[in-house]
Amino acid sequence: MSTAGLVLFHYLAAASITSAILAITRHKPIHSLLWVLALFLHVAGIFLLMGAEFLAAVQVIVYAGAILVFYLFFLMLLDLPSEAAAPRFSAHWPLSVVAGGAFATLIWYARDIPAALVPPAPRGASSVGNLATVGSALFTEFAVPFEIVSLVLLAAIVGAVVMAKRKTQA
Amino acid sequence: MGPMVPVGACLGLSAVLFAIGLFGFLARRNIILMLVSVEIMLNSVNVSLAAFSHHLSDARGQVMALFVIAVAASEAAIGLGLVLALSRNKQGVNVEDVTQLRW
Repeated sequence: MSTAGLVLFHYLAAASITSAILAITRHKPIHSLLWVLALFLHVAGIFLLMGAEFLAAVQVIVYAGAILVFYLFFLMLLDLPSEAAAPRFSAHWPLSVVAGGAFATLIWYARDIPAALVPPAPRGASSVGNLATVGSALFTEFAVPFEIVSLVLLAAIVGAVVMAKRKTQA
Repeated sequence: MGPMVPVGACLGLSAVLFAIGLFGFLARRNIILMLVSVEIMLNSVNVSLAAFSHHLSDARGQVMALFVIAVAASEAAIGLGLVLALSRNKQGVNVEDVTQLRW
């Protein structure tokens, strides 16, 4: 891999981790959501670097453009009571640090195993990551899961409407 | 052909992001920010799926990542619907306010 690509990858990784930490620790929910937006855009850059152009586009359009804007809309419309005075973390946050740290250590030591066990595929002429390859896999091999996902989305829409509906007194 | 990103570094990044999301989910009191932490965890899983897809030159990892994104969208809709129903009945959306089903 070229040096410039490696430098770019390290920048994107460092920026992702920084924005994730800031997103988790900010007091105001709006600030948190804006840092999550920065995180999603940097992760989209990492996807681009890995040759997954379609996934990067979906990440920007669906994750950053739809899901996160949905959260922002919700936060602004809900008119929550100000929580500036309330503590950010619950009382048992040191236990959460231990849980997160233990998990990170575990996976950090496991991260080189797949690279050692599974040799990288030969970089042949078939370029993975373009829209045609992903699309043909999505609509042939994964056709049934694709239809099931549409049912999951339908159930989510109906469920959200049912839960958000105001109860009318009969 | 894109540049060859080291798969181990991507998996390490994914692990760190997942741990940050896990910490946020366990430690934050605001339910909306707990949902956002779940989104961070789902996104870190997408990073490792894309890393394996890149490493093995196999598009199926990216298809799985697309499914994860669809499930994340469903989770956002359901979770925020729950928060809306909750905020109608209670003042505030902190986990300390909802203890009726605890123990």
